Amino acid sequence: MSGYLEGILVLLAVNIVYAYGAFLPLAAGQLNIGLAGFAAIGAYSSAYVSNVYGVHPLIAIPIGGVVAALIALVVAVPVLRTRGIYLALATFALGQVVQASLLNMSAVGGAAGYPVTAFIRLPVVVGFAVVVMLLVWLLFTTRFGIAARAVHDDERVADLMGIEVRGFQVAAFALGSLISGIGGGIYAHHFSFIEAQYFNITLSITIVLYVLLGGTQTVFGPLIGAAVFTLLPELLRGSANWRYVVFAAGIIMLMALRPQGLITGGMLRRLFDWRDPFVKSPGAAKERVT
Amino acid sequence: MTAPNILELENVHKQFGGLDVIDDLTFGVRRGSRTALIGPNGAGKTTVFNLITGVYAVDRGRIHVDGVDITHVPSSRRVDHGVARSFQNVRLMPHLNALENVIVGQHSRNRGFFGVLQPVNLTRNNRWKEEARAALHDAGLGEYERAAVGSLPYGVQKRIELVRALMAHPRLLLLDEPAAGLNPAETDDLQRQLRTICEQGDVTLLVVEHDMQFVGALCEHVVVISFGKKIAEGTPKDIRQDRRVQEIYLGTPPSEPALKKEARRAS
Amino acid sequence: MLGQQIVNGVMLGSVYAMVAVALTLSIGVLNFLNFSIPAMFMIGGMATWAFIHAGLPWPLAVAAAMVVVGIASLIVELFTWRWMRGAEKFVPLVSSMAFLILFEHLAIALYGSDLRTVNAGFSQVDLRFGGLVIGIPQLIGLVCSIVLIGCLSLLLNRTKLGRALRTIAEDSDTALLLGVNINRVVPIVFVVAGAFAAFAGVIFALNYRQVHPFMGEVVGLKGISAMIIGGMGNIWGSIVGGLVIGLVEVLAIGYFGADFVDIAVFGLLLLILFLRPTGLFAGMTTARGGI
Repeated sequence: MSGYLEGILVLLAVNIVYAYGAFLPLAAGQLNIGLAGFAAIGAYSSAYVSNVYGVHPLIAIPIGGVVAALIALVVAVPVLRTRGIYLALATFALGQVVQASLLNMSAVGGAAGYPVTAFIRLPVVVGFAVVVMLLVWLLFTTRFGIAARAVHDDERVADLMGIEVRGFQVAAFALGSLISGIGGGIYAHHFSFIEAQYFNITLSITIVLYVLLGGTQTVFGPLIGAAVFTLLPELLRGSANWRYVVFAAGIIMLMALRPQGLITGGMLRRLFDWRDPFVKSPGAAKERVT
Repeated sequence: MTAPNILELENVHKQFGGLDVIDDLTFGVRRGSRTALIGPNGAGKTTVFNLITGVYAVDRGRIHVDGVDITHVPSSRRVDHGVARSFQNVRLMPHLNALENVIVGQHSRNRGFFGVLQPVNLTRNNRWKEEARAALHDAGLGEYERAAVGSLPYGVQKRIELVRALMAHPRLLLLDEPAAGLNPAETDDLQRQLRTICEQGDVTLLVVEHDMQFVGALCEHVVVISFGKKIAEGTPKDIRQDRRVQEIYLGTPPSEPALKKEARRAS
Repeated sequence: MLGQQIVNGVMLGSVYAMVAVALTLSIGVLNFLNFSIPAMFMIGGMATWAFIHAGLPWPLAVAAAMVVVGIASLIVELFTWRWMRGAEKFVPLVSSMAFLILFEHLAIALYGSDLRTVNAGFSQVDLRFGGLVIGIPQLIGLVCSIVLIGCLSLLLNRTKLGRALRTIAEDSDTALLLGVNINRVVPIVFVVAGAFAAFAGVIFALNYRQVHPFMGEVVGLKGISAMIIGGMGNIWGSIVGGLVIGLVEVLAIGYFGADFVDIAVFGLLLLILFLRPTGLFAGMTTARGGI
């Protein structure tokens, strides 16, 4: 496999993991623009553990995810007491504080960055991405998925149905941070070097944007969003910066024309309903008798 | 011995910004009965529902459900005491299909770590999914299983909401204007359906309604409130003839011909 | 020493105050957190540099930069407000975030990511006053900011346009019924907000003599902190918020070193969001964020 293709696949895998990290809170109705902060926590803690204690990346990366999740749990209580725009701003402030703190931690290199000795190859990176995808898909087939989406749609009614709204919000927030942390850990152990400057607000916003591009109504949306974001620009040669310009312009067009994203619940229904005998067109409804 | 009244409101008081929205309200709902809560617009009927379900906390007074004082029980736990409700403007989850909306209704019976991780959407034969599917079918809504609820006709949405409320296996069912927006045929269907639910399922019904014909056909007992105070209580016939009730609805006591016309319409 | 830092903090604070005012205007009138405002800050600064670099004298460069920002604001208005289908509430916010990314990377693509020095063409003159050094250009910047914010406040409270804006802030449906021409008024909000942010960028460029495509991210985003501290939708609160952030930043550099600035500024934002999210002047704003 050519080095170029390998590079694309790695990027795709990392972006997919980041995407699912964003998907969890978004599906539960939270706009989290501090994801880069949790990716950074995962990246730095997994790199530290594998550099200093020689822990194998296959274990260090999940540890990084767990550290990110634990920190998320600690801040979740005050953060999730805020609502809507305040929540988004709190996650934003959180991401900035994390980035700034890591910039100052000389134990992990500070502003000069932190080299990572252990290395994981493409199959491992892809393996992590596939595992994350499968676990999120599975999770969303459970009552958790239905409850999280109910919380996203109507917190008040979800609460009256007996759903512990705050509990689900914290769970979605923490799980999203766990996955983002794993994304950071994968990045660290493949690119062999991490710096706090990379985990900035632009990264957080970009991730949220391509997840919204794919659509948050279904579990396939993040995959499509990450794929489009990673692969489409390869078709347009040109510098990385022009690709971002085109991507951002695309998002703006999308929000104006189809804000629910590329993959919606309705689209999936239409794609898969040929095998469901119970679906008829709405016109047939009137003849039914109670 | 179980309490004869499944719902008791005792001197309930609620204030919003200095305004007494519910004023010293006391009434009971007999177990197994079909009771209506009526009153002019702004009387506070939906507020009563919100107090019973815990959306608002009472300022003073108590609420008992099935003998248990639920005044301080958090709203997400009230369904565990057997209270379920529908909403004035149908509030289904727009991004879930009909079946999933009904599955949401089962949540209270399926809490806890293992309940939440039930793979309801993974296989076709999961028992919770089957239960929800059967309920939709029994209500004649089977074909809407996978439909996006937002695009369904209003009447269909209301019926789905009723199925969702029943999924919690409630003992007390609060329905907020269930007949609103329904045509006469649908209203008749609903009235019969609710009778059946009450008789077969041992469910007590408390209905907020404006449609007096519907109330007369369905309910044995009526509670009238106005400006947050109880004005009258009794059978639909008693209420129709009660002067105080007529006053609050019509402004002035009605004339004899109007009364006779009402009496004829009711029979 | 402390006195000098306070002076520096106030000067810097006026920059943050302008950005905060721009943000608060958008939130107050349109109930929309406009993430492209920090980008307008950057465009104001970088366009000033670019025009000076191209040979224009600084007053013309500033004017040209403001025109560029005005056009950019109108483009943003089209795509975050006018043409959005009203689908979901998050659409304007998300589009504005996309604009932030777009403008930032456009600047990098056009000019590279390096720091650029602004040769303003006027020299730095200082006022020495009881041991304190006060830069004249900085002082002029501060005075201009105060005057502009004062004018905005007058506009909002005394003019017909201001009444229209406040009506939209209360209830846009009622505003329509009352005959407010929303399609004419909303672009004005975007342009004015963009102008305030851009003017802050111009002051920053001329006073601190450094611009780069990330200045929206590094400096402009701190305006969000200032806005929240002052209370969303509150113009005079934004000034206080801006001054607070300016002071916090300068004092943080002074006592802890430049590395701690962001921790201090955003840590403070986090704290306020946890403890008193409505800001210092909660009492003066309406539930949605009145002006």
